[in-house]
Amino acid sequence: MIRIQLVDDEPNVLNSLRRLLRRQDWQVDAFSDVEEALEALLQHEYAVILSDYKMPMADGVTYLKFAKQKQPGAIRLVLSGHGDSESMVKAINQAEVFRYLTKPWDDHEVVAAISSAVELYSLQKENQRLRKENDAQRAMIKAREEELLRLEADNPGITRVRRDADGSVLLDDDAGSSD
Amino acid sequence: MTDKEPTDTGQDALNARLEQANKQLLQSEKLAAIGQLAAGVAHEINNPVGYVYSNLQTLENYLNDLFRLTDAIDTAASLEDLRQIRHNIDYNYLREDLKDLLSESREGIERVKTIISAMKDFSHIEEEEFKQADLHRGIETTLNVVNNELKYKAEVVRDFGELPHVECIASQINQVIMNLLVNAAHAIEDFGKITIRTRHQGDSVTLEVEDTGKGIASEHLNRIFEPFFTTKGIGKGTGLGLSLSFNIIKKHNGEIEVHSEPGQGTRFRITLPVTQPEPLQHTQQNQDTENPA
Repeated sequence: MIRIQLVDDEPNVLNSLRRLLRRQDWQVDAFSDVEEALEALLQHEYAVILSDYKMPMADGVTYLKFAKQKQPGAIRLVLSGHGDSESMVKAINQAEVFRYLTKPWDDHEVVAAISSAVELYSLQKENQRLRKENDAQRAMIKAREEELLRLEADNPGITRVRRDADGSVLLDDDAGSSD
Repeated sequence: MTDKEPTDTGQDALNARLEQANKQLLQSEKLAAIGQLAAGVAHEINNPVGYVYSNLQTLENYLNDLFRLTDAIDTAASLEDLRQIRHNIDYNYLREDLKDLLSESREGIERVKTIISAMKDFSHIEEEEFKQADLHRGIETTLNVVNNELKYKAEVVRDFGELPHVECIASQINQVIMNLLVNAAHAIEDFGKITIRTRHQGDSVTLEVEDTGKGIASEHLNRIFEPFFTTKGIGKGTGLGLSLSFNIIKKHNGEIEVHSEPGQGTRFRITLPVTQPEPLQHTQQNQDTENPA
């Protein structure tokens, strides 16, 4: 199941976001305490992390930078009441956020932003899975080729099958001994 | 005698102009300080407005769901259909959550109201006369205005004693308190403690603002009340806050002292007389008729 993490020092903000996201098919974990949010990063895999900017102890950018180290695959978003250019630049350059949303927010905008983030996460996940599958298949092919080469070296001609006009395999003792 | 007259009136006129200039300076420093606080206040308001606004949209969805149920009373074939709708709209959750939604939204609006009225109290220009005032109320108003500057930097501890009403220009004293609180928050690098202490001794009261910040370097200590002296970065301080605070306290026949240990923190102490001494031009009118409300 897709897991979303919300971090904001204001419980009422978290409650209203939880209400908003209730209809979506996501597991929503909300934290008003940054340290608890950090701990949760070690326990669950998150698709999306949405953080407030200004919080006691650590600001949102610092938190998201840390989250990026712990879970590089999670898509990061900021929901800030601040909206000054300095915090935006920091969020983009340091925490590499996917969206910078501002308070007061528009419900549709927040849902749309999180949905695109979930989509991006799923695509990346799928991409990773396909690459892994591809790598595994390649490794399998490579192992087979090596085996064939080994057989060919031990018994030259063994990997080449000669057939006649109607497709029957020709077993010819002379074939291997020439050249 | 005849040649002394014009000099006297000249002096009076100059004094009046100086007084006027001082008033303007005081007002512009206050506005500058409020301007610097504005971003913080906006943040403080955007939070509650954000969730109240979102809650209202959720409330609309809840109501649409509930109307779906009530409308079905006429059209539903059986009670079972109604029960089914009630189940579909997650009625029990709605019922429970509606209470929270409303009380949280009310709390948000209350907060906005408090901030706005504190800003209004704070920026009062007209109150230019000495009146009996409750200093604790002034402190609370000021805390509401600067809350956003403080809450991420420090825990605020109120160590209040019993205070009588103090004869002062409340808006100016608030301005001094704001300066001290903002300075205290700026002095704290990560997270610290700001203690506001009030005491009453004999015919004077003391008000202390103490922080656990980085302290003031000893070479700066004797310059902090100079106009335009600041160690804050460009755009962070006008360099006028403490110098104007000093003037305000002097005008109130009080004292402002500072005690600071680099690395430990700073404590500002203001001492104010409970009643202003009699022979003052600004206390001449309606001092006795004043009724502390």
